[in-house]
Amino acid sequence: MTNGFKYGGYKGQLLRVNLSKKAVTKEPLREDWARDFVGGAGYSARLLYDEIPAKCDPLGPQNKLFFMTGPVNGTMIPAASRSTACAKSPLTGSLFHSIFGGYWGPELKFAGYDGLVVEGKADKPVYLWIDDDRVEIRSAEHLWGKNPFKAQEVLRQEIGDENIRIATIGEAGENGVAYAIILLDIRAAGRGGMGAVMGSKNLKAIAVRGTGSVNVPNMLRVYNTTLRLNQIVATNPAVKGLSEYGTPRNVLSMNAAGILPTRNWQTETFKRAEGISGETMKETVVKGHRACFACSINCTKYSVVPSGKYKSIINGPDYETVYGFGSICEVDDIKAICKVDEVCDEYGIDLIQASMSVAWAMECYEKGIFTKADTGGLDLTWGNADAMIHLTEMIGKREGLGALLAKGTRDAAKIVGKGTERFVISNKGVDWPGHSCRPWPGTAVGYATGPRGGSHHDIRPTLEKSGMVDRTVLEGKGAMASEVNHWLILADSAVVCHLGEPIWGPAKVNDNLIDALNAVTGWNLDYPQARKIAERQWNMIRCFSAREGFTRNDDTLPIRFMEEPVPEGPMKGSLISKETLEGLKDQYYEYRGWDKKTGNPSKAKLAELGLEFAAKDVC
Amino acid sequence: MATVKVKGFSVVRDVFGAGLVEVEVGPPETVKETLAALLAKYGEPLRKVLVEPDTGELTPLLLVLNGEAISSTLDVDRPVKTGDEITLIFPIGGG
Repeated sequence: MTNGFKYGGYKGQLLRVNLSKKAVTKEPLREDWARDFVGGAGYSARLLYDEIPAKCDPLGPQNKLFFMTGPVNGTMIPAASRSTACAKSPLTGSLFHSIFGGYWGPELKFAGYDGLVVEGKADKPVYLWIDDDRVEIRSAEHLWGKNPFKAQEVLRQEIGDENIRIATIGEAGENGVAYAIILLDIRAAGRGGMGAVMGSKNLKAIAVRGTGSVNVPNMLRVYNTTLRLNQIVATNPAVKGLSEYGTPRNVLSMNAAGILPTRNWQTETFKRAEGISGETMKETVVKGHRACFACSINCTKYSVVPSGKYKSIINGPDYETVYGFGSICEVDDIKAICKVDEVCDEYGIDLIQASMSVAWAMECYEKGIFTKADTGGLDLTWGNADAMIHLTEMIGKREGLGALLAKGTRDAAKIVGKGTERFVISNKGVDWPGHSCRPWPGTAVGYATGPRGGSHHDIRPTLEKSGMVDRTVLEGKGAMASEVNHWLILADSAVVCHLGEPIWGPAKVNDNLIDALNAVTGWNLDYPQARKIAERQWNMIRCFSAREGFTRNDDTLPIRFMEEPVPEGPMKGSLISKETLEGLKDQYYEYRGWDKKTGNPSKAKLAELGLEFAAKDVC
Repeated sequence: MATVKVKGFSVVRDVFGAGLVEVEVGPPETVKETLAALLAKYGEPLRKVLVEPDTGELTPLLLVLNGEAISSTLDVDRPVKTGDEITLIFPIGGG
């Protein structure tokens, strides 16, 4: 196929930029790794296992930042615009793949590259300009300090091309906020602090323009697969409403079910949820819809608050934003949430982690651990939207209390002490998204064992929430979580969007995902082969964590979820006790063929998956 | 015959034309019959948002019956009576 590469969908080439040496090289994509690890998160895990030294400083020059596409990206397959930014995370201390949508990933492929490895550290701020074959490292001193959108505007003018796609960091990434994001046009690689890694390399932006295409072995087959998948998007109930309401369509439903996390998860019912619902958004602030490359779901909203103290223009807010800055902080004003969304984007910080940090501080204030002397005079009473916005700005600038919160809640609580670790809603340093697990044991063990910690993209609650799997039964939940892991990691390697869960999941690697991969690559994978690839990918990531020193003890849940039952609503009394969790972990490790004592893959499992090389590090 | 209140949100609420509606159910008066009565009353527009096109079956749903979380697949035979309220928790994905 392209560049003589054996498989369709790939460009067959990686771009490597060493910022310390100011060197740009191009190298072939490995065919064996493409077949064994596909792309995206899977290929990244394999490559970075070899290239990132164990125990290195995530914000040091030895860490590498790897942007990787997958074979499906850049084709007409729907819900498949996504790509990965992968590095050792400053939040978790292990491998993290942050997935982003939009147009930047496909553009990189059109420029001729499956992926971009960034290594070393520039001595001064720089940006990369990738113009098909031509790649330049340029000074970014005039961009440093600018917010991502301003930086993008300057670059578009400077380069003289409105159609370039640009990845940028904001002030938070420059300042080493542990959960800084990379903003790719309007979409974000939001979790795990990939923006901090990029900032640590003095890399402000990566502008890309590609004029090529993605070749597939049989265009008619890809076309027919696309038609069929688009029909699912158009008709599947679980996708309905995403265009009209965006992901906040979930708010009132979740609140009615008693699973809308509220007041830093002290409860899961928000009495003023109507104010932050998708319905309210639609009636008040949403002005339009935006879609990622070749996607027919159209989930992103374009919202405007035209005047007043919350004047703002944003792409969003998404469910995670209205959860985090809404019910979690007990703010019911959608306009205030639009404003804080804008603040997060302009500083370049993760909305989930920032909102959970503010909520943690609010709980410290509620309990009298923080006073106005600690908060710089801010009244952090629940529901104080103005204080919430101000504190978020302080995080972006690393000012005052914001400097503490910029470390993440887990590390902030270690510094503050006084029992504040009980208010930390985190696993492996990554704070929780807006999806409960106290009522769902399979989801809980998935969160606990997930390599990215508090991520709803290593596990999904869908099966237990919908009743496809009985939530009251513990038996079989290790297997359930493992198979959900598998479709998610294969999706993250193709790379396709988890919002297409009804297309690609939800219980295991399904025929649609296999068909999409086969159609674009020319492979003829069957289910056992596809599942084995996914299992290999998952084990590869686990090996990275194990080599960093992670063990069974790191697979845990927030104290609140193990000790404080949901106090009200339909899920009242729900809890995953420590004892229950440990039993679920035993199930999970056993199903996976991992050592129950350490939580690490066994030699036999590694051999079965062709990962023998990692045994010396983890067994 | 029971008169059951049904609550829905987002696209379900759009089909209902209101946040809360009533349907006549049964006999037998069960959760399953409540869902069937809803589909009969609201026809194709509701089928489009709640029925899996491949199978023609109702998509699995979390329901709240009088404040208790139940499942559209595991608890379909639960009895209902006049005055009961069922909330349809729309299939939740994404985030």
